Amino acid sequence: MQLQNSSYKPSEVLSPIDSGTSQAIEASPVEAIQQWLVSQLAKQLSLDPKNIKVQEPLTRYGLDSIDAVTLVGELEDWLDLELPSTLLWDYPTVEKAATFLVQEFDVATALNTAKAESALSTPPEKAEKSSGWGGLWNRISGS
Amino acid sequence: MHPLKQYWVAEALERDLGDPCHPDSLMSFQQVVELDEREEFPEALLNWLYNWKLNHYYIPTECGGEFTSFEEFVAFVRVMSRRDLTTSISFTTLFWSYLVWMAGTEKQKQRLASFIKDQNGAMCLAYSERAHGSDLVGSDVRATKVPGGYLLNGEKWPINRATISGVSFVLAKTDESGGARSLSLFMVEKSQLDSATYYNLPKILTHGIRGSDMSGIGFKDCFIPESSRIGAEGAGLEWALKGFQVTRTLCAAFSQGAADTALRTTLNFALNRQLYGKTVFDMPQPRRTLVDAFLDILICDCATIGAARGFHVVPEQFSVWSAVVKYFVTTQLESMVADVSVVLGARYYMRDAHDWGIFQKVVRDNAIISVFDGSTVVNLHALLLQLRQLAKQRSRQRGKNLEVLQARLAACFSLDQPVPTFDGRKLELFSRGADDVLQGLELALAQLQALEGAPNLDSGVLQQIVSFTHLLLEELNALDHSLEHSTFEFGHDQSPELFDLAKQYCTLHAAASCLYMWLHNRNHLGAFFAQGEWLVLCLRRLALKFRPAHSLASRINDEAIAQELLRLYQEDKLFSIVPFQLATSKVQGDQTNATSELQLQA
Repeated sequence: MQLQNSSYKPSEVLSPIDSGTSQAIEASPVEAIQQWLVSQLAKQLSLDPKNIKVQEPLTRYGLDSIDAVTLVGELEDWLDLELPSTLLWDYPTVEKAATFLVQEFDVATALNTAKAESALSTPPEKAEKSSGWGGLWNRISGS
Repeated sequence: MHPLKQYWVAEALERDLGDPCHPDSLMSFQQVVELDEREEFPEALLNWLYNWKLNHYYIPTECGGEFTSFEEFVAFVRVMSRRDLTTSISFTTLFWSYLVWMAGTEKQKQRLASFIKDQNGAMCLAYSERAHGSDLVGSDVRATKVPGGYLLNGEKWPINRATISGVSFVLAKTDESGGARSLSLFMVEKSQLDSATYYNLPKILTHGIRGSDMSGIGFKDCFIPESSRIGAEGAGLEWALKGFQVTRTLCAAFSQGAADTALRTTLNFALNRQLYGKTVFDMPQPRRTLVDAFLDILICDCATIGAARGFHVVPEQFSVWSAVVKYFVTTQLESMVADVSVVLGARYYMRDAHDWGIFQKVVRDNAIISVFDGSTVVNLHALLLQLRQLAKQRSRQRGKNLEVLQARLAACFSLDQPVPTFDGRKLELFSRGADDVLQGLELALAQLQALEGAPNLDSGVLQQIVSFTHLLLEELNALDHSLEHSTFEFGHDQSPELFDLAKQYCTLHAAASCLYMWLHNRNHLGAFFAQGEWLVLCLRRLALKFRPAHSLASRINDEAIAQELLRLYQEDKLFSIVPFQLATSKVQGDQTNATSELQLQA
């Protein structure tokens, strides 16, 4: 379940993902983060992802302040980056948060590692079913 | 004087306050019970504490005060709390000043320090609102921007010391769009206000701490200058939550002071009461109850003192530690008080019998500690949100950075080591899955195994400690496993099962704190502490929260614990792993007579 990237090089692990036809691969970093955030919100607030708009404040979907801090923790786990705990307070929409992250952090590298971990630990067919961005979370939450 | 310097202030305060069982002493049980009966604010007692300059110990040295260590702080709050929680709580609203020490400007710090030191200033925390309880973001109190400052409107209630204080720390909405950045924090100085623009709400009649100024404050277009805002606009919730990490942890000191008195007055009864030709203390069942109560105090002591020191070492972990301590210590000691009440029998319920009826006052007063500053539910909720990350981090970090972890644990738990200066700016809203106390459990096990064959250490005792540590690790692994296989959703409909896991986490954290306390202080806290029988019994007591008695090793003889309890009682020392000297009850015999007379009258 480790997300550390020290023992892997992106080039070594990209090929299995490529063959896994995960749609996140084609997404830009901003899109990938947006997709991940939407999937988390949908899952943890029991919402249909289609109804989550990236420009809407997260509070609109019932994510309160302390939950938003917790979600930053999940995001840190996924990207293996240390982020400001108030990230989603200061950038309170999916769009703003994703844009900020891409501007301020080396998200591309982090995403490659996260995808690699996700692909390595999740059977490809399962990853497909969850649209490519729920694999790691499924495993963490055990669902 | 105590060999540990951080206990000198507490010992000095004890000496000067005198024996609370003596009616002529300041804050004597007789006096505080009378004040409570009259529901009278303990103004004279508070003034005495200011004249003693205890207020200086709430101001960090770099701001011109005497505060250096939370361990010292906990000790002197226990001294006040064992006499009277009303006074202790009323005085200790001063700890809200940490908001300014952490987030204020140099000017604000100077101003507040001068207010506390030169004007005997007191303060209140005005966060709660009648309609919103713990939902701070739901605030209806508004601070509307106007030239040079803000206009405050709305009411805060119920607020301790809202009326009898010169400064209110007010959390108010500065952004109508809502959300976590909609609140700002203000240091509202009543002396600077137009008195027509604010008012106080009537005293609330309460079950305990009846003399306290539990009231409220309201504002009507009340102008406050821009300079009264603490931190940036919109930073109110962040500082509020960080401030709570400090005060929630320190609340444990209130409970520990109250617990000492509950046990001491009950022991006084049990030792003097003759039934069936022997004292109550000589009967196995009451004796067991009192020994177990002492163990409860020692368990909580390890958690509280460890956390008090931990602030200086791992402030970034306090979103976890503060929730653990606030939940565990306050509820464990509430149960302890209820347990010993059985020994006191009908007298526990009487308002004028046995030691001036102090026990029933303790029962009532102590009941608020687990409620205020974030209730049991609020703390468990704050913790359960972090449990999955704690589990993941433990699994990732296993076997890594052991030397650093070991050094931090040693700094937190070695009472003979000075602590670094507390830096409130290092507090974090979540701990990133870090909790050294449970992440270092494997290290503790290795340290224990290295003790094999150590001189002056009974091998049977060590073996039991090792075996209970294995049990703790098994339970921790099982907890992590449950968390990995649980589903999780945000919001306020968390399952009761998840709350139970959070409670288990607290128990494990407390148990591990006992272990470290022993491992790191065996060489200087006296023979009773070093021998470790207390630790075996504490760990067993906590293990019973997970497993039935018949599955555990049978209880070792607890005579050493009973003897230590008696010794501390007879020598007027605090029931604690650091039993510092209390005010001496010079004529123990007189006290007994006084008690018997009261019993005759009753």
